[in-house]
Amino acid sequence: MSFVLRVLVLIIPVSLIGLFFVLLSTENEYPGADYKIFEIPDFSLSNLNGTNKISNKDLEGDYLLNVWASWCITCMVEHPYLSKLSNNGIKIIGLNYKDDRSDALVWLNKFDNPYDLIIHDFKGTLALDLGVTGAPETFLVNNGKVVAHYQGEVNQIVWNEVFQPIINSKNLSLK
Amino acid sequence: MKKYFLIIIFLSMHISSDMVYKFDNQADELRFNNLIKEIRCPKCTSGSLSSSNAPISEDLKLKIVEMIKDGKSDSDIKQYVSDRFGKESLYDPEFTQQTYILWFGPLIFIVIAFIIFFFRKKT
Repeated sequence: MSFVLRVLVLIIPVSLIGLFFVLLSTENEYPGADYKIFEIPDFSLSNLNGTNKISNKDLEGDYLLNVWASWCITCMVEHPYLSKLSNNGIKIIGLNYKDDRSDALVWLNKFDNPYDLIIHDFKGTLALDLGVTGAPETFLVNNGKVVAHYQGEVNQIVWNEVFQPIINSKNLSLK
Repeated sequence: MKKYFLIIIFLSMHISSDMVYKFDNQADELRFNNLIKEIRCPKCTSGSLSSSNAPISEDLKLKIVEMIKDGKSDSDIKQYVSDRFGKESLYDPEFTQQTYILWFGPLIFIVIAFIIFFFRKKT
């Protein structure tokens, strides 16, 4: 019995350490990325100029949906990379989050506008339905369905690690 | 001057406490207070919605008020939150196949410890 006990005392902690090591090291998702697939919730919000209403039917095909605001410092850091993507023909829809319309327009004039269309989500209702916790966040959308969600600044590394593999595997066309 | 400041401060506290969440009845208010203690703030690593005043928590609380008024059940509301902010947004993990080890693990550990303790050969 004492032999069994000695072996158990050794085996139990070692196997627990082994279990946690395997569980924690098999996490293959990039930190901040989520690949849960869900539909873009129904919404009807105005565009940033306040001239038109935008709803689900105005968003077709494959595109990036970028949550940004003029008060968000990281968005400013992210901005040049979005402009680069946009210059390469990638379709980016902006979701202006809890922002003053005039501040957002001034910001775009100052830094350039990489967005094909901008939704003005002043109260953050669409953002809440999408599971946004702050800005910047970026969604990869395939025919009305979110296929990747990244919380934080998108840059070349994130693009290569998070978005590009999904774009390739699903054969998406963001142009 | 000091007196005016005090009046303004007391009035502003009263106004803000009164206008935030309004319910049709006391049962709904109680449900709301329980729910925000059982749901984690999505932005903070630990801390319930009730303890958080992060903008996202405020939005989520308003959404919960709206859902309660729409007659949604507690499980509907928890489902809404966990669909968007992950399973970890609920303090009590669900009782599913993946979480059996969480619920039964400590119990199994205690049972094994007791078995070893009572059946060991006394030396």
